[in-house]
Amino acid sequence: MRAARPAALAAPVIGILLALVPVIAPRNVSLLNLGFFTFLYVARGVAWNILGGFAGYISFGYAAFFGLGAYTTALLWLRGWAPVATYPLAGLVAAAFSLVVGAPTLRLVGPYFSIATIGVGEAMRILALNLDRVTGGASGLNLPTTVPSKGWFYTAALVCAAVSFAIAAGVRRSRFGLGLQALRMDQEAAESLGVRTALFKNLAHILSAFLVGACGGLEATYLQYLHPDSVFGFTESISLVLITLIGGLGTLWGPVLGAAVFYAVQDYLLASYPTLHLLVYGVLLILILLFEPKGLAGLAARLWRRMQVSR
Amino acid sequence: MYTAQDLISVGISALLTAGLYAVMSYGLAIIYGVMKVINLSNAGFVMLGAFLTLVYFQQWHLDPILGAFLNLPVFFVMGWLVYRLLVRRVMTALPIASLLLLFALWLVVQNVALLIWGSEDQSIITAYTYKALALLGFRISLTRLLVFGVALAVLTVLHYGLGHTYIGKALRATVQDPQAALLVGIDTGRISAVAFGLGTAFAGFAGGLLALLFSFTPDFGGSFQLKSFTIIVLGGLENLAGVTVGAAILAFAESFAVLFMRASLQDVVAYALLVVALIVMPGGVAQLLARSRS
Repeated sequence: MRAARPAALAAPVIGILLALVPVIAPRNVSLLNLGFFTFLYVARGVAWNILGGFAGYISFGYAAFFGLGAYTTALLWLRGWAPVATYPLAGLVAAAFSLVVGAPTLRLVGPYFSIATIGVGEAMRILALNLDRVTGGASGLNLPTTVPSKGWFYTAALVCAAVSFAIAAGVRRSRFGLGLQALRMDQEAAESLGVRTALFKNLAHILSAFLVGACGGLEATYLQYLHPDSVFGFTESISLVLITLIGGLGTLWGPVLGAAVFYAVQDYLLASYPTLHLLVYGVLLILILLFEPKGLAGLAARLWRRMQVSR
Repeated sequence: MYTAQDLISVGISALLTAGLYAVMSYGLAIIYGVMKVINLSNAGFVMLGAFLTLVYFQQWHLDPILGAFLNLPVFFVMGWLVYRLLVRRVMTALPIASLLLLFALWLVVQNVALLIWGSEDQSIITAYTYKALALLGFRISLTRLLVFGVALAVLTVLHYGLGHTYIGKALRATVQDPQAALLVGIDTGRISAVAFGLGTAFAGFAGGLLALLFSFTPDFGGSFQLKSFTIIVLGGLENLAGVTVGAAILAFAESFAVLFMRASLQDVVAYALLVVALIVMPGGVAQLLARSRS
């Protein structure tokens, strides 16, 4: 427990420091954009980790929640709602869908759940492409251009990331979080000890879907143009898998580290080699699975221990 | 609404598709059967098979069907190496580890292909690509017929090999019970490497055949990947003969679904079947029939 204390203090300190950036540099658009996208990835990675890391259910279908959130905000915004007011609803729509999908698929164990979620995610993308009366279909959907400043977006994404992180930290420490960990290790043993596994898995799914849906709403406000292939795309789903696995599956700080690395690499390589970043992540993921299953967070912890010993 | 003529021609088309689907999914079924590994990199090797066939065609004017056959040994070696160098190392970890590893490999293969060949649509046009045969009043594309014939022939040879050679019997024994196979002196480690090689060889082979029918990009294969899963789940994951049944069910379901819904929604049939089949009948159609009989 002693080791947890500096880490518990680190999060609010880092959060406050980051919140000062738009005050100090309100005109540095590229920095604010970098922050916006990174924080949104942090928020989604941390949320995905609640089900994928804590409970061990690796989903390849989170684009469905992100896309539903994005389209919920977009459609309400076009009907005159203030975007901010739609984010909770975007989350709720995603959460409701996660219950519909999760109730049957969360009965599947390990790899079968993963495969089923690929099916659900891709089916949603194709449905979104074909429901052109609602989503604009393959020609996309143009959104209002009256948007807040970059500084506002930066702060909003930071708040999303902070809320996600606080919820994940809370879950991890609670009985609920312990239950999730127990069912990840051995579902039957957990059940026999009185953990309500079905309820817990679905709650974790709903919670993370809600957060990802709300993030989708915020991103829709920023993008001003939605296309089913981007917000419902498979790349969106695998981003969250990669962020968490590279950062450290099941750890609190893993997805944060993972998202920072993920977006930095993507931003750096996107300009010159539009697809090379996925190659880099693929190689990185192979190395991590072979040598350091706890990801960058595990690597950092290992280096930290080594430094302590040598001191 | 539809004439008998229409329905028969849809049926013929479904049958031809089923042959292709079966070849495409066999590799997945072998690998799953022997080591319970879900090979998410299958699509990557299917795509690579299509591109290598294109390379043979452009460099040596090698016919795509021969190219598909040339892929068999090439991809066998590739698969064998992937097993020895990567998959074997995570076999002791959780089952999800091998799935994620092969998913990462898929990303790598896909993006290496993108670096080499770019993202433009590629296709192989042979002298017989646009030919069609007239059979009892139905026009059937020659390439589709050829692909079906070749697929059928190769599956027959494989079936014979599994039933009558030592390796084949050892492989089937490992599918049925790895522990018992080990007890009777089967080197299951070697069988796993062979199975992975064989599975990958089939992916490359299927890629070669697909290249004859469709245009392709490095992204090619994603939707086929999910269809292959649907097929092996419908066939009853550990049942190698079930693959043909699963392929036929999916091909017919998809082909006839188009009569009732938009063609662009066709893929949803496969995805919905996948999720339903995983949940309702993990043992496949065979188990479902057995259950209803008892």
